[in-house]
Amino acid sequence: MLGLKKFLFRGSAQANLPDDVRASLDLWRASKAPPLDDVHFHTRYVVVDIVSSGTNPESDRLLGIAAAAVWKGAIQPDDTFYVDFSTLDGEGSTVDRELTAFLLFAAKAPLVTYHIPYVGGFLQRAFKERLGVDFQPQWIDLAWLLPSIFDDKGDSVMPMDHWIDVFGLDAGSGRRDAMANTLLLARIFQMMTVRAVSKQIDTAAHLIAESRASSFLRRTH
Amino acid sequence: MTTQQQAGQEKEQAVGQVEMSLRQDGRARMAGNTQAFLRNHAPFNKMQPDALQLFADKAKIVFYAAGSEIVGPDSGKVRYFYLIESGKVQARQAGEVTVTEYSILSLGAGESFPIGAVTAGRPSTNLYTAVDDTFCYQLPAEDFLTLLASSPEFNLFCTRYIASLLDQSRCQLQLQFAQRASEQQTLNSPLHGIGSRSPIAVSPETPLRAALETMSQAGVGSLVIAGEDRKAVGVFTRTDLLDRVVLAELPLTAPVSQAMSPHPFMLAEHATAYDAMYAMATHGIRHVLVTDAEGKLTGVVSERDLFSLQRVGLRQIRQSIDGAHNVEALQQAAADVRQLSFNMLAQGVGAEQLTQFISALNDALTRRVIQLNLEKHHFDGIEWAWLAFGSEGRDEQTFSTDQDNGIVFVPPEDATVDALRARFLAYALAVNKDLDRCGFPLCKGNIMASNPQWCLTLDEWKDQFATWIRTPQPDALLNATIFFDFRALYGKADLADAMRRHLLSLTASSPMFLRAMAKNALDVEPPLGKIRDFLTDLEPGQPGKIDLKKYGSRIFVDVARIYAMASGVHNTNSIQRLRLAAQRLSIRSDEIDAVLEGLNFIQLLRLQHQYLEGEPGTQGDNLIDPDTLNELDRRILKESFRQARKIQTRLKLDYQVQ
Repeated sequence: MLGLKKFLFRGSAQANLPDDVRASLDLWRASKAPPLDDVHFHTRYVVVDIVSSGTNPESDRLLGIAAAAVWKGAIQPDDTFYVDFSTLDGEGSTVDRELTAFLLFAAKAPLVTYHIPYVGGFLQRAFKERLGVDFQPQWIDLAWLLPSIFDDKGDSVMPMDHWIDVFGLDAGSGRRDAMANTLLLARIFQMMTVRAVSKQIDTAAHLIAESRASSFLRRTH
Repeated sequence: MTTQQQAGQEKEQAVGQVEMSLRQDGRARMAGNTQAFLRNHAPFNKMQPDALQLFADKAKIVFYAAGSEIVGPDSGKVRYFYLIESGKVQARQAGEVTVTEYSILSLGAGESFPIGAVTAGRPSTNLYTAVDDTFCYQLPAEDFLTLLASSPEFNLFCTRYIASLLDQSRCQLQLQFAQRASEQQTLNSPLHGIGSRSPIAVSPETPLRAALETMSQAGVGSLVIAGEDRKAVGVFTRTDLLDRVVLAELPLTAPVSQAMSPHPFMLAEHATAYDAMYAMATHGIRHVLVTDAEGKLTGVVSERDLFSLQRVGLRQIRQSIDGAHNVEALQQAAADVRQLSFNMLAQGVGAEQLTQFISALNDALTRRVIQLNLEKHHFDGIEWAWLAFGSEGRDEQTFSTDQDNGIVFVPPEDATVDALRARFLAYALAVNKDLDRCGFPLCKGNIMASNPQWCLTLDEWKDQFATWIRTPQPDALLNATIFFDFRALYGKADLADAMRRHLLSLTASSPMFLRAMAKNALDVEPPLGKIRDFLTDLEPGQPGKIDLKKYGSRIFVDVARIYAMASGVHNTNSIQRLRLAAQRLSIRSDEIDAVLEGLNFIQLLRLQHQYLEGEPGTQGDNLIDPDTLNELDRRILKESFRQARKIQTRLKLDYQVQ
């Protein structure tokens, strides 16, 4: 359980962590973030989606994380990550190790997702409660970026299925699992970077800035 | 290193191991996603699980925006095999030398490239460009080669592209029809699995009484007569008992060899049920003996054995045709031919055999109509023959073929030609009308024996041919495409042979005529799009459709005719023409095989379309909507059209047509 109660009873999350998790976290903290001023082709982006028991990051449970790296122009099958918490009861150190493993996998790369308040909200709370980590990665939010970059195809924040339709992607029928969703996001991200380059948004730093700007502008105007 | 540091490293390993294992989970999930796509596309849907797993584990997903180059001659040694997931890719042959039209090809979802280059580890000769926004699975070359070595299905696909797709298409077709024709065995089964494996055989010297006792004891209606070497020399049946023993008053002490039907029809064990059926239809026989490689008897296949494969019996139809005394009886037989053809189509019999088969039964039907009408018209002492033209003349009939026929005759010295012609015309009119009632509609262009233009003496036919060849005007060329595909259906076949020899001697000495024919044949091109797969708006009033005859089979047929005339091939069937002409003109056999596979596939699609979409009792058309085909058939059709374009390109070069 990644519930609030657990956190309260636990006291200081950091203090109760197993040694190996703490060592890995130290290593992760000390590691250098990759540069963000290289072109998209040379930048490793990590596309991420989550599974949760509901939509409220404050009260619902995080049930899984699916992530895939996009770099050198491809979705790389040997650079993907999938964890399912739903069968664990949250006791012991398994969840802590798995969350730490995600940090090592992501390696401070810019994270691409659809709707940061949802995905980021759940991740931040989990990392804070379980590992005492203030998780503040470089976010790129497709929900805001897509209407900004493909302004001919949609002019406001829309459900992800709208973009799947617009781009004619085959999303299969029935419910998608988190990895299928992540891979669809990764495809959309690949399409978007091509269009972004034509708008001189050709580095990760530019993309992150554009993501922030578009969400700020749309929220405030 | 301190103990604390060591402990830290060991523990760190623990998180590291968890990361490794979660990465593997990620890869497995992505592979599952990829496999879902592969399962819907040939040849992957036929590959073994471990081969699929290898592909799915290693394939990256790449995106190419519309207009971007994917791989080309300048990219160096090809490093990846590409499988299109969605979008459209154009392949364009590099360099200036090529005939432009042939060199452009459009590829869609489920298709892959550049197979040749990645197999050979060389740069691609084609330039591949994304026409639409395109996603591809990208398999590294080394994994491609591993797959090629470990998966027979994938290997076949890469090495024999069209043939492997055709096999799959046939399997699909058989599945599709399984309910409508619920037979277990198909007509493609080899004969060694059908019929009696231990045929009752006696030696030629066996006295008739002993032979008859053997038949009675075994409860069989026929005996094979074979020597000690187990080589069959004859067949003895109950029919022979009546005709050759009882009525001929042969003593029962005479050897069975005196009463048997000699020269029995034999087929090797690896021949198919279809072959046996075809032999029965053509020769009007009831049994086919089966032999091993040395010609020794190993079995007998009777019509009844094949009957179990077919709901409508073959000989039943032959008998009802041959025994019909009026047109009404023949109408029923015509309906049976259609039903039987459908069953064969459903069982995956190829187009070449099927069209031959339909032609063989239609021939029998037409002959019977001709015979029945001879009861009221008499041409004793006159040499004449009924000629079939067009598709019937080529043995390439589909379900909906209208009549194309004529008469050739030789007037006796004392007869007036016109009076004799008038008699033939009256007779021909009656035949034409009866054929119409049997489901062969009257020819809209009036190419029928009842038209005085096509009821000619042998000399008139020769003159007519000579006129067309000397002055290759558009009409003459059009006529040549119909009338030069003739064969005698009834009467004196020698007359047709004489016409053929005359024709070939004329064409062999008229290169100008062949060149005009070639130019004519190149007027229509296969409907391949540069961007889209197919051009579907060529027929006015039929948007979205392709006329498979006009833009498909006719292209092959026209080319076959020209090469046959150029190389002195007597056959009229396009497949035989192309095979024989290819030998004489030194065209590589694998090249011609691919062309013939293309023609066969288009014919098969026409047959399927005519049967499945034609209203019962009406004539189907040749217009298909490629969007309604399954992905596999669409790919084969595209490849078939490419073969049409290839053979046209060859013709263009050979006859220097601009």
